[in-house]
Amino acid sequence: MSRFFTQGDSSSESSSSDEEELYSDNEAEQKSEQEESEEEEASEEESSSSDEGGKSGASKFLREAASSDESEDEDKTHIVKSAKDKRLEELEAVVKIIDNAVKINDWSTIATEFDKLNRQVAKITTSDKAPKIYIKTIGDLEDFMNEAIAKQKVSTKKMNATNARGLNAMKQKIKRNNKDYQAEIDKFRDDKFEYMMSEEEEEVVPVEKTKKPKAVYTEGVDIGDDEGFSTVGRGGKTLQYTPESILKHLRSIVESRGKKNTDRAEQIRVMEKLREVADTPYRTIRVLLTLISTRFDLTTGSTATFMSQENWKSAEHEFADLLEELESNRNMVVLENAEEWEDDEKPPQPAAGETLKIPGSIISVVERLDDELTRSLQHIDPHTAEYIDRLKDEQALYNNILRALLYVENLKKDTKIELNDDGANRVVMRRLEHVYFKPAQVVHVLEETAWKSVPANLDSDITPRANDADIDSLVQTLSTYLFKHSADIIRARAYLCQVYYFALHDQYYKARDMLLMSHLQETIGNFPINTQILFNRTLVQVGLCAFRANLVYDSQNTLQEICGSGRQKELLAQGVMIQRYSQVTPEQERLERQRQLPFHMHINLELLECVYLTCSMLLEIPLLAQTGSSPDIKKRIISKTYRRLLEFHERQIFTGPPENTRDHVMQASRALAAGEWKKSAKLINDIKIWELMAEPEKIKDMLSAQIQEEGLRTYLFTYAPFYDTLAVSTLASMFELSERKVAAVVSKMISHEELAAALDQVNSAIIFRKGVELSRLQNLALTLSDKASGLIEANERTLEQRTQGTANAFERQGGQGGRGGRGGRGRGRGRGGGEGGDRGASRTRGGQQFGGGALGGAIKA
Amino acid sequence: MTDNTPTSAEAILNGKSQSGPTEAAQEYDLLPKLIPHLDRHLIFPLLEFLSGQEGEDGTEITKTKYELLKSTNMTDYVAQLWQEINDSDDVPEEFPNRREEVLERLSLFTQETSQIDELLSDDSVVSNLRSDKVANLKFLETNHGVTLEMVDMLYDYGWFQYSCGSYANAAHLLDQFRILSTDNDKANSANWGKLASDILTTQWDVVMEEVNKVKEGIDTKLFNNPLAQLQHRTWLIHWSLFPFFNYEPARDQITELFFSPAFINTIQTNCPWILRYLAAAVITNRSRTRNTGQYQKQLKDLVRVVRQEGYEYHDPVTDFVTALYIDFDFEEAQKKLSEAEEVLKGDFFLSAAAEAFVEAARHLISESYCKIHQRIDIKDLSKRLGLEMEEGEKWIVNLIRDTRMDGKLDYKEGTVLMNHPANSVYQQVIERTKGSFFRTSVLSAAVAK
Repeated sequence: MSRFFTQGDSSSESSSSDEEELYSDNEAEQKSEQEESEEEEASEEESSSSDEGGKSGASKFLREAASSDESEDEDKTHIVKSAKDKRLEELEAVVKIIDNAVKINDWSTIATEFDKLNRQVAKITTSDKAPKIYIKTIGDLEDFMNEAIAKQKVSTKKMNATNARGLNAMKQKIKRNNKDYQAEIDKFRDDKFEYMMSEEEEEVVPVEKTKKPKAVYTEGVDIGDDEGFSTVGRGGKTLQYTPESILKHLRSIVESRGKKNTDRAEQIRVMEKLREVADTPYRTIRVLLTLISTRFDLTTGSTATFMSQENWKSAEHEFADLLEELESNRNMVVLENAEEWEDDEKPPQPAAGETLKIPGSIISVVERLDDELTRSLQHIDPHTAEYIDRLKDEQALYNNILRALLYVENLKKDTKIELNDDGANRVVMRRLEHVYFKPAQVVHVLEETAWKSVPANLDSDITPRANDADIDSLVQTLSTYLFKHSADIIRARAYLCQVYYFALHDQYYKARDMLLMSHLQETIGNFPINTQILFNRTLVQVGLCAFRANLVYDSQNTLQEICGSGRQKELLAQGVMIQRYSQVTPEQERLERQRQLPFHMHINLELLECVYLTCSMLLEIPLLAQTGSSPDIKKRIISKTYRRLLEFHERQIFTGPPENTRDHVMQASRALAAGEWKKSAKLINDIKIWELMAEPEKIKDMLSAQIQEEGLRTYLFTYAPFYDTLAVSTLASMFELSERKVAAVVSKMISHEELAAALDQVNSAIIFRKGVELSRLQNLALTLSDKASGLIEANERTLEQRTQGTANAFERQGGQGGRGGRGGRGRGRGRGGGEGGDRGASRTRGGQQFGGGALGGAIKA
Repeated sequence: MTDNTPTSAEAILNGKSQSGPTEAAQEYDLLPKLIPHLDRHLIFPLLEFLSGQEGEDGTEITKTKYELLKSTNMTDYVAQLWQEINDSDDVPEEFPNRREEVLERLSLFTQETSQIDELLSDDSVVSNLRSDKVANLKFLETNHGVTLEMVDMLYDYGWFQYSCGSYANAAHLLDQFRILSTDNDKANSANWGKLASDILTTQWDVVMEEVNKVKEGIDTKLFNNPLAQLQHRTWLIHWSLFPFFNYEPARDQITELFFSPAFINTIQTNCPWILRYLAAAVITNRSRTRNTGQYQKQLKDLVRVVRQEGYEYHDPVTDFVTALYIDFDFEEAQKKLSEAEEVLKGDFFLSAAAEAFVEAARHLISESYCKIHQRIDIKDLSKRLGLEMEEGEKWIVNLIRDTRMDGKLDYKEGTVLMNHPANSVYQQVIERTKGSFFRTSVLSAAVAK
């Protein structure tokens, strides 16, 4: 194709833009901006074909309305026209193919033909208004497409993969494309016949596209090159896309990577074209590899924080195509450490039976895809439909992960390729991370769909297709694989994922034992922050699981570290804390934002707080009643956060009806402290958020029972000094418990020396002992002795730390003064599963997460 | 030697499940759990015991026995079992053939080991042996022409004898082998073999020695392989159940062994059902140990472990502990005690200790009952302990005397009055500061080091 460049270009441009200004200031501004930029980068004359069409289309239209002719322009049209007929013929041929494809509903053909059509139209319309036939075609296509989509939504039958992909692609393209021709299309729709019949006027269009680098003339122009098409490249050189030149193009693209002023969008277009002309699998693979990585580059350079959906989607499609290509060509493998093939002229010819190694990394691509999706989910407002829409892409991603895994597994089978476990580990980890936080049903759907998308002849060794129904074992299989094959971080993560999954599915003991046996509590500080976050999430999930299993003490203990800090959001990466005295550099803040989890992975913080406060209440209120006003009241605090809230609440002069979760728990606490267990239970059960848990009724019943019992204990602690004797039956009726239960609770308290009393079996009453109240001096003496023993303990601990536990100076037979040790330890009654820590310590000598200090374990052992 | 018998053990398990539990005792039958951790020959007495009990299907057990012993060299007995099963006097040919074969090998072994055997029974030679194994071997090699193969032959012969059921011979041979062998793996294996042989010949004194040897072996030789350590400890725990309840002096020692950190962890992770035996041992120990401090400690440990493992394992014995010390539900404890009695009677290891257990458990119930109550109706307490009124009174008097509790009987009202003196503040202060001096001196010694 020939183009004529005249020096008069700039004048025509300015005149056209002037005129446009009349119609729309905005547009004109835009335009002039464009023009400026175009003048600056004069060599860049090809923008996307649709854009090109768009611009010229729009301006043409305006021009038409203005109906201004300029002699200079007329010249041009004249010349262009000579080639036009030929073009139109080609165009018609393509339109015909599309029509046929429409008839048989073949979207993949439509998609490819549509691309061709657009390119041809672009060539014609550089100087002209879009041909009617083109408008007709795209108008019809749009209608047909809407119809097809609607049909697809209704019908249960799925389209086959290529067709569906074609349809999807078309949807995007048509939307984008037709916007530019909207006015024309409308006109066409208003009166189809009329529109078609109307004479093609000769519109006169100033061709903006013709601004060229000054004083550069075209060289080597072949008019009417049938099979290829030429585009004017950098510096006006004509680039020709032929299968042979693919590798050369790729090289130049790769070389321009990272340089300033490279137009990546343009490169992508080039490669899309290259892909179509690629004739051998080798070339296709090479093009796809470069194309995908360039798509990723698109985000890195630009200001956008995440990849646009369409861009991601195309990358995803191309990745799927790439895998397909690799699956069907087993003699070619993509390896990270493969040698670069230097000779662009002739592609490598592997001998029969040998595999051709192509440099690249399937795993990195799939990881990048995953990261990009996560990133965009981080930035989209989770309460919009867009978020949900985006979330749907996860399935596609998961399919690809599975497929990539199959591919890597296959590679590993090939003994000739020395492949370390690393690749497979990374993919398995990705897969695990998409699964571990989901309930079994969801995982089931995910798995099923993923396997459906994979060709039937592929199967996995790690997770065979046959096992796909057995979801519970999936997480286990994946993590067991990782334990065996990986090290350090991935291993730890896999371990945590598994614990998380167990905890999510109410297998508390399994989860707890695993967590304790992992020794991770000791070393987690050395792991990357992401893993620490995962650890925190797991810990919280285990705590919630304990709560569901009615283990209040364990639950409180486990949640203490996260919830007690008041920085749940930060620790779980579910939001950035606004710091009052900001000491965070923007850089740090950016990193923190990057770490945030997408919304669908969040653990409900309100529920978490509710559970934590409720557990704290059940433990703290009896404790408060027990310690009463004795001087060491300050000493035993289970939860500082809770105490602070409680104090704050008590200072309030007027308390209204409870509004939020916190209010509910606080008022319930006060009721419980006053012995009104019924009110307390009602307040707790009124909390709405329990509905979010599975089987809320069971939780509520469990809580009521706990409140009854703790209420009884609180009552006894509070009112014991005012009674001489108390009938068990009275207590039983007061707290609606069976007498046996009351007797058991009282016996337990007596046995643990919490209550100075004894039972009278004959009258079934509690007899409180007299004279147990201590004088102030006596109290102080006790406190002093406690302090002294505390001091010794602290000293011992210091020494232990200094010597790193090598000086086993303190390993001695325990049981020193059995009873005396109780108060001195400050651990008090070891209720519930408080021994979890002891067990951890003795079993692993490191499970201090839940219990006493390091020395405590050593002494007890 | 340490090899388990997976195939036949499975067959036995299958056989077991068919017979079906009929009683409470059978519901908590531990046999299926124990068997995988025991040696073929050690299982045999258990099966014998089972057949001695009523309500079990005799032929089922015989069949199981047959499965169990089929692969051993006790051909005569196996043939007899076969006859029993098939109810016929004929013996299929394979048995006499096997028998011939075994005898042949036996004589072969005897020949080959005769020389070394003679040497080792010769005092003049033995007196020349030193503690250094390598030197010994060299000495024998130069003076008497003993080769390494001959020593290994001893091992094989010992194994063969064991398989034939002549455990005394096996023990003797393996002992000799251990003196000479320098092969650690085999010596280790010989340790296990010796232990099994001694158990089966009920040489309890020797058994205890062997248990210690094996334990040391586990600690020293496998220290870098935690998994194997766990596995071996599990085996040792199961094997030492034999002396545990059959030999009085061993009980303290083994209780202590089980409570040592490494072993209690093994029990918790790998075989929580051992808790039954541990609980039974601790509870029955009550009347025997004079050292109350230690007893209290053991009890405390036991309660802790039972509570921790409650989710993984429980049976009437551990339930009893839970009811008494965790829930303080005396009625429940009483109920569980009678169930536990049943279970104990049906247990191979514990059947002899059942009575002592019940006696001691009663003590525990009344002890903690008295601790909590101030006034107790004798009638009610007697009922609770499963005794007559008269008996109950005597019992309580004894209890008060034994435990030196402060209690008085009110005959007219038929009650016991317990007096619980409050813990004096001064006493408390003394208690709390008691260990300070000692701890401080330990601390200063540690700093000085």
